[in-house]
Amino acid sequence: MIFVVAEHKDNKLRPITSELLVFGQRVARDFGEPITAVILGSSTGDLAGELKTRKIDRVLRAEHAGLAEYNPDTYVQVLQSILNKDKPFLVLMGHTTQGMDFAPRLAVRLCGPLISGCVEYEKQGERLILTRQIFNAKMNMKTLVRGEPPYFATASPGAFPGDEVESGGNAEVIVFPVQLTGTPKRKILNRVEAPKGQTDLSSAPIIVSGGRGLKQKENFNLIFELAEAIGGSVGASRPVVDAEWLPREYQVGSSGQTVSPRLYIAVGISGAIQHLVGMQTSRCIVAINKDPEAPIFKVAHYGIVDDLFKVVPALTKIFKDLRQA
Amino acid sequence: MKEKHGGEVAVISLGGEEAARVLRSSLAMGADRAIHLLDPKFKDSDEFASAAALAKAIEKDGGADLLLAGVQSDDLGSGTTGTMMAEFLGWAHATVVVGVQVQPDTKSLQVQRELEGGINETVELTLPAVLTIQFGINQPRYASLRGIMAAKKKEFKVWSAADLGLADNAVGRAGAAYDVKEILVPERKSRVEVISGTPEEAAAKLVEKLRKEAKVI
Ligand SMILES: Cc1cc2nc3c(=O)[nH]c(=O)nc-3n(C[C@H](O)[C@H](O)[C@H](O)COP(=O)(O)OP(=O)(O)OC[C@H]3O[C@@H](n4cnc5c(N)ncnc54)[C@H](O)[C@@H]3O)c2cc1C
Repeated sequence: MIFVVAEHKDNKLRPITSELLVFGQRVARDFGEPITAVILGSSTGDLAGELKTRKIDRVLRAEHAGLAEYNPDTYVQVLQSILNKDKPFLVLMGHTTQGMDFAPRLAVRLCGPLISGCVEYEKQGERLILTRQIFNAKMNMKTLVRGEPPYFATASPGAFPGDEVESGGNAEVIVFPVQLTGTPKRKILNRVEAPKGQTDLSSAPIIVSGGRGLKQKENFNLIFELAEAIGGSVGASRPVVDAEWLPREYQVGSSGQTVSPRLYIAVGISGAIQHLVGMQTSRCIVAINKDPEAPIFKVAHYGIVDDLFKVVPALTKIFKDLRQA
Repeated sequence: MKEKHGGEVAVISLGGEEAARVLRSSLAMGADRAIHLLDPKFKDSDEFASAAALAKAIEKDGGADLLLAGVQSDDLGSGTTGTMMAEFLGWAHATVVVGVQVQPDTKSLQVQRELEGGINETVELTLPAVLTIQFGINQPRYASLRGIMAAKKKEFKVWSAADLGLADNAVGRAGAAYDVKEILVPERKSRVEVISGTPEEAAAKLVEKLRKEAKVI
C-alpha cells in the first residue's frame, strides 16, 4: 500500500497534495501497489470528498478535534497507528515546512528509511530508486532504500506535475477512529502573515528579480532601474533577503511569495527548485545568467548567457529610449 | 541565551578533521566545551545513523535542556538530522526557527517558525527541546585572540562508536537506512531560446521578441 499524506490549509487541499498523488500514482503503476490518501483534521468531509474522485483506492479520514491544527506529536501518533494496521510500502509527504516537520520523526519511530526532497523516482528490477537534489540543486543523488518497507519520502514542491493527477476513481472513504493519548509537547499560539506593504507581488504584471549574481547590495540599483524603465515591480531570490539587501517581502519562492506575472525577468538567479516553484507559471520568463548550465534556463522562454552587469544596463537603456519615443 | 539565563554551552559534532575545526572555532567564539564523535566507523553515516549516534552521545553526556541544529546542511541538505535527533531523544522539537524566547518559569520556550508564503507561526515547546534554526537569524561573534587562547584550555571530549556503546552495524554505512547509488548532474530539458550577440545586440533582440513574439510588453 502506498500512503499519501494530504496537506491542507483553510479547508483547501494544498497544491503539494496533487503532486504527491501524481508521485503515488506513478509508483503504483510500476509496483502494482494500491494507494490510500490519508487526511488528518477536525472536519475533513469536503476534502475527503475531493480526494475520493482521484484515481486511488481508499481515503482514510482521521478526524478529531485535537487534529484541528497541525502538530507533529499528534500527527506522528495518528499516522503510526494507521501504518501499523496496514502493510505500508511507501509513505509520501510534502517537502514543505509541515511535511519536513514530522516526516523525520515518523520515519525514526517506524524505523524506515526517509528520502527527503525527492524530485524523481524509478524502478530498477524490483527496487525503488528515489532521486533527491543535493548541493543546492546543482547535483542529483539517486538513492536505494534498504531493508523491508515501509519506506518514507518527501517530495520537493514543484517536482511532480500536480495537474497530471489522474481522476476517475471512486475510492472508498473510511473514517479512522482516532485516539489521542498524552499531552502534545508543542502548542500553537498564533500565526501571522508577513506584512504585504507595497510589495504584494502576487498581482504584479511584470517582475524583475535579482539574485546573488548581483554580488552586493549597491548593485541592486541595476534591478530597480530596469524595473522602473519597464514599469515593473522588483523581486528577489532568498539569499538577497538573507543578506538583508532587501526586506523579506521581496522574496519569491517556496518560502516567499508565489507569483505569476505576464513577464518575469530573472537576473543572476540560478533557478533552484525553491525559487522555481514561486515563479514557474509566469507567462513569459527571461533569464540573464552567465552560466549556460544554470537550471533557470530550464524554465525560461528567452535567455541571454552573458554578464548581467553588461546586459542589464543595455536593456534599461532600450526601455528608457522606448518610453521617451 | 547563556548571558541572559545562565547555563553552559556545549558543542557537538560527528565527522572527521573538519568537524574538529568547527568545534575548536566554536570554543574560540565562546562555547564552554566540545564533544567530537570521531571514528572511522562513522564514515558514510546517513542522517539516520548520524542522528542516532549524536542522540546517544547527548544522553551519555547527561542530557541537555536545549539542542540547536541547523535546518539543513549545504551539501546533502536533507533537512532531517535535527528532527530525527528529537525523535531518538524523545524531546519536543520545532523546525525552521527564526526566533526564540525562553520562559524559565514554566521550563518552556516560545519559538517562531517560518512557514511558506511569509507566514510566521509562534509555538510553545516544553523543554527539553530540539530546534532547527533557519540560516541568517544571528550574526556569529568573531573569535578574539583571547578566545582562541582560552579555547585551548577548554574540555574537548573525543568519543568513538564503542564509547557510545554502538554496535558496528548501527553506525556508518552499515547503520545507514539507504545506499547512495549514483550522483549525477541533472539533465535539463529546456525550451529556452538563447539570444546571442554582444550585450547591446542581445538586449535589443530580446526587447524585439518580447514585443512582437511574446507580446508581453
Ligand atoms: C527550505 C528552503 C527554502 C527556500 N526558499 C527559497 C525561496 O523562497 N526563494 C528562493 O529564491 N530561494 C529559496 N531557497 C534557496 C534556494 O535553494 C537557493 O539557494 C537560492 O534560490 C539561490 O539564490 P540565487 O539564485 O540568487 O543564488 P545562486 O544560486 O548563488 O545563483 C547566482 C547565479 O548568478 C549567476 N551569476 C553570477 N554572476 C553573474 C554575472 N556577473 N552575470 C550573470 N549571472 C551571474 C550565477 O551563474 C548563478 O547562476 C530556499 C532554500 C531552502 C533550503
